[in-house]
Amino acid sequence: MSSDFKTWQCRTCGYLYDEAEGDATEGFAPGTRWADIPDDWECPLCGTAKSDFDMVEL
Amino acid sequence: MRIAQDLAETIIDPAAYADETRVHDAFTKLRAETPLGIAQPAGFDPFWVVTKHADIQLIERQNELFHNGDRSATLTTIDADKAVREMMGGSPHLVRSLVQMDNPDHMNYRRLTQNWFMPQNIKKLEPRIREIAKTFIDRMAAFGGECDFAKDVALLFPLHVIMEILGVPEADEPKMLKLTQELFGAADPELNRTGEEMDKSSITVDSVADTIAEFMEYFNAITEDRRANPRDDVSSVIANGKINGEPLDHFAAMSYYIIAATAGHDTTSHTTSGGMWALCESPDQFAKLKSNLDLIPSLVDESIRWVTPVKHFMRTATDDAEVRGQKIAKGDWLMLCYPSANRDEELFDDPFTFDVARSPNKHISMGYGAHVCIGQHLARMEMRIFWEELLPRLDSIEFSGQPTRTNGNFVCGPKAMPVRYKMQ
Repeated sequence: MSSDFKTWQCRTCGYLYDEAEGDATEGFAPGTRWADIPDDWECPLCGTAKSDFDMVEL
Repeated sequence: MRIAQDLAETIIDPAAYADETRVHDAFTKLRAETPLGIAQPAGFDPFWVVTKHADIQLIERQNELFHNGDRSATLTTIDADKAVREMMGGSPHLVRSLVQMDNPDHMNYRRLTQNWFMPQNIKKLEPRIREIAKTFIDRMAAFGGECDFAKDVALLFPLHVIMEILGVPEADEPKMLKLTQELFGAADPELNRTGEEMDKSSITVDSVADTIAEFMEYFNAITEDRRANPRDDVSSVIANGKINGEPLDHFAAMSYYIIAATAGHDTTSHTTSGGMWALCESPDQFAKLKSNLDLIPSLVDESIRWVTPVKHFMRTATDDAEVRGQKIAKGDWLMLCYPSANRDEELFDDPFTFDVARSPNKHISMGYGAHVCIGQHLARMEMRIFWEELLPRLDSIEFSGQPTRTNGNFVCGPKAMPVRYKMQ
């Protein structure tokens, strides 16, 4: 598995999506790439659109 | 459609929230029979009662169609609204914080501190918050097996954390707690400024305004200090912040401090003591946690759902709209009932069961959309750390007397919680 996983952050609330960890409650297995998340997916904490997330370095 | 008058009177009654069963019975009935209807309790303008999770999400995400600030952002009697407007030059608000703002001000003022509250920034606070948590847990151990968990532990730990973040000296924490309780406990004679009994339509505008004035006097001095001596704290960010190149409007800056210094701890305190309350009532859940501490993050979110410390916010329609097939007219006032949404049978399995392993748990206690709680990551982190430090040392816990909740229909939760426990 590639190690160059990225983290994406919701501009509204700060929710972090880490590709390495995925998000089990959203149905995304560890390793799920941002590009593979549906475009109509929304931030689980505040409903912000996927397009309003930024890639961040932690 | 109008909702039944007895239900309308119940969901605004501060005592019904202290009872909790009474208010949840009313909401359960409303969700089943009138999930979105108009209430007009005596002394109030009519307002829509929004009880379903999906409807609250729908409304909160449309923050241009449903404003926070056009009318009072919290439920207010006609008389109280009139008194506030007379006092505030026509404004329906005694403070002007993020809660009362709409865009563009909301976005501009939120941006000012948003980065400070992001997960990557507050992570650096974790070691210090863990130290603080240990101090309070050591203190709990030193009580010798009996204490009032709400008053002796849960109220004080988040208070200390947020005051340190704001840069308020420890000696002033009792004053901050007292003022917070006067504000949020305005309907509770044991906590409010006057000590007087209230019925649900009474007005407390003068006493609440006095409390706010005392807060403002205090934070005015903090502002002057941080302008002269900036530090790495939120107060310095507010004191020295600029919006469109200009310093913050003074009233809005004072309101910013007040919201941080009140909502920044009271909600977390209520959630912590409410979580413990639920564990005392559910020894099986306590045992489950003890055998699997990996469930702590899930415990935190289930406690937030279970307690729902913010009971409502109001919104005002800026245009004609449709929700759940009903016409909402421009100017209509809507009560978003979070405790109801968090027991919505359509979204939660066994919503009246406290389940420390609940997943998913899409509660709406922190709000949704642009106004979602700015401090939610800090609150979750504080509670996670607290339980991580407490649970390994706590062998057993049970009520040693009758726990009670605050009378209130806005921000409230456990008031007293005598417990008996064994800990290391």
